Amino acid sequence: MKATANHARRSSLTRVARYALLAVAVCVAIAPVYWMLTISVKTEVDQFASPPRWFDFSPTLAHYIDAFSTRSFGSFLLTSAIVAALSTLCAMTIGTLAAYALARFRLPAGLNKRLSLWILSTRMFPPIVTAVPLFLMMRDLRLLNTIGSLVVVYTAFNLPFVVWMMIGFFRELPRELEEAAMVDGDSRLGALRRVVLPLAAPGLAATAVFCLIVSWNEFLLALVLTQTEAAMTLPVGIAGRVTQYEIKWGVMSAAGVVAMMPILVFALSVQKYLVRGLSLGAVKG
Amino acid sequence: MLPSVIMNSDKSDHSGKFFNWREKAFPYLLIAPAIAVLLALSIYPLLYIIKISFQTGSGESIKWSLSNFTRLFSDSFFRDALLHTLIYAIVALTFEFLIGLGLALLVDRPLRGRNVFRAVLLIPMMLPPVVVGVVWRLMFNPNFGAINGTLKSMGANTDALTWTASPALALASVIAVDVWQWTPFMFLILLAGLQAIPQEPYEAAMVDGANWRQTFFHVTLPLLKPAILIALLLRTMDLLRVFDQIFILTEGGPGFATETVSLYIYRAAFRFFDFGYAAAMSFVLLALTNAISYAYIRLLQRQETA
Repeated sequence: MKATANHARRSSLTRVARYALLAVAVCVAIAPVYWMLTISVKTEVDQFASPPRWFDFSPTLAHYIDAFSTRSFGSFLLTSAIVAALSTLCAMTIGTLAAYALARFRLPAGLNKRLSLWILSTRMFPPIVTAVPLFLMMRDLRLLNTIGSLVVVYTAFNLPFVVWMMIGFFRELPRELEEAAMVDGDSRLGALRRVVLPLAAPGLAATAVFCLIVSWNEFLLALVLTQTEAAMTLPVGIAGRVTQYEIKWGVMSAAGVVAMMPILVFALSVQKYLVRGLSLGAVKG
Repeated sequence: MLPSVIMNSDKSDHSGKFFNWREKAFPYLLIAPAIAVLLALSIYPLLYIIKISFQTGSGESIKWSLSNFTRLFSDSFFRDALLHTLIYAIVALTFEFLIGLGLALLVDRPLRGRNVFRAVLLIPMMLPPVVVGVVWRLMFNPNFGAINGTLKSMGANTDALTWTASPALALASVIAVDVWQWTPFMFLILLAGLQAIPQEPYEAAMVDGANWRQTFFHVTLPLLKPAILIALLLRTMDLLRVFDQIFILTEGGPGFATETVSLYIYRAAFRFFDFGYAAAMSFVLLALTNAISYAYIRLLQRQETA
């Protein structure tokens, strides 16, 4: 009797300890982000208050208005959105076609494997290594400070990811479906468009969302390739003002919150494929 | 994009020779654009950087030599940057792995609200790195930052705690930010690995009377090994190239305290416009990360065939 009571008490204790530890982890994970959120809606008096005001302050939207109507963060936001959308579209189109060929055709000389590994290996270059030559190339082509240069560079950056992910998704679809469509008179591309792509839609959507996230978050290449306000993405715009001598913390935080919101929505929408995307398809999650 | 011949392929010539040729060329036509893009924007830049790493001077006075590489050996700044990068990678990797594994083990049992927990823990990892920099500047600021403010209100003396502004604490501070941001990554991959382990080995261990420690070291860890390796390799690759958050938080400073190889390359190329030297350093960084990506790709291949 006593042994079981002890056991029960111990297991309920470990359960409490477990939830306590997880609660600590949650607090550590979100407290800093929450702090930025509060700074973005605090008046300057509340921002610099001591002790810090975590909860009791009177919120204001002044910093958001300042950042996006009187300063240029609105234009950075637009540039970021255009670059992310266009580069994702290009990478998805080019990458999906290549992935389909690599997943469905048996090429001679082990080319399927060799090509897909070669494509993957280009993803492994550290960004700073390609940043230096890309800067020089774009300078020679007079493409510095253009949105086009960023779109092109991000397309190449996301392409290996798209190919690798879509090969995985295509392989999961039964080959018989397109064969049936082709027997019914569809061409290869017709079968791809009418049968394969609709079935691969969840995978396509998840892959596209990952590309959007990567392009939206990318900083180093954008920093190197754009110096004028007209072509600046949101991360570069924020960075340029963080490192200046006098910092408007409320404006910075407001811009940070706006930069983070779409990413959080995107991330939640691909939760199911998150592990797969993060490990480039290695862990199916 | 694609030749219209293929788009409008009609059935009438299915048996013809022309069709065979077209059928054979079809997959290559699909792959060609991808290869063209990667050749132009990944491979060509790589060759370009190899070329300029052997050049010094600019314009009319370009000279070819090995001097960019020999300079690496006598440059104590480069040595320090390399050292910081390695310390950063090793310390951050260790903490991220241990905490991530601990959290994954805690969550890998029936748990109310597991999905909510998983979703909340995602937040740091998905944030734009620049935003992470802003967030932690607000936390670390010695005067009104949340950390020192909270410590002060509890009566602690925070005069010496200047975090990223202190030469002694700066590297530890940026490492802490990395651990904060990327422990969830370890957690997610390891949790997925744990949940893929079937029930039978555990039952067998229980029948054999194994205690939790024996079960952990002889059942869980060996079966989790592929996921552990993938998580460690991917993280290591990213840690060795770290740039964004450090750039925002300290720009490599104070002094040189948090300068990593990526930051030093950036400085050489875009502050001193010494592209040849930056290229030579890029070469070293590439070699360093290549060994790891090679291991990663081999591992992936094995997963593929398994």
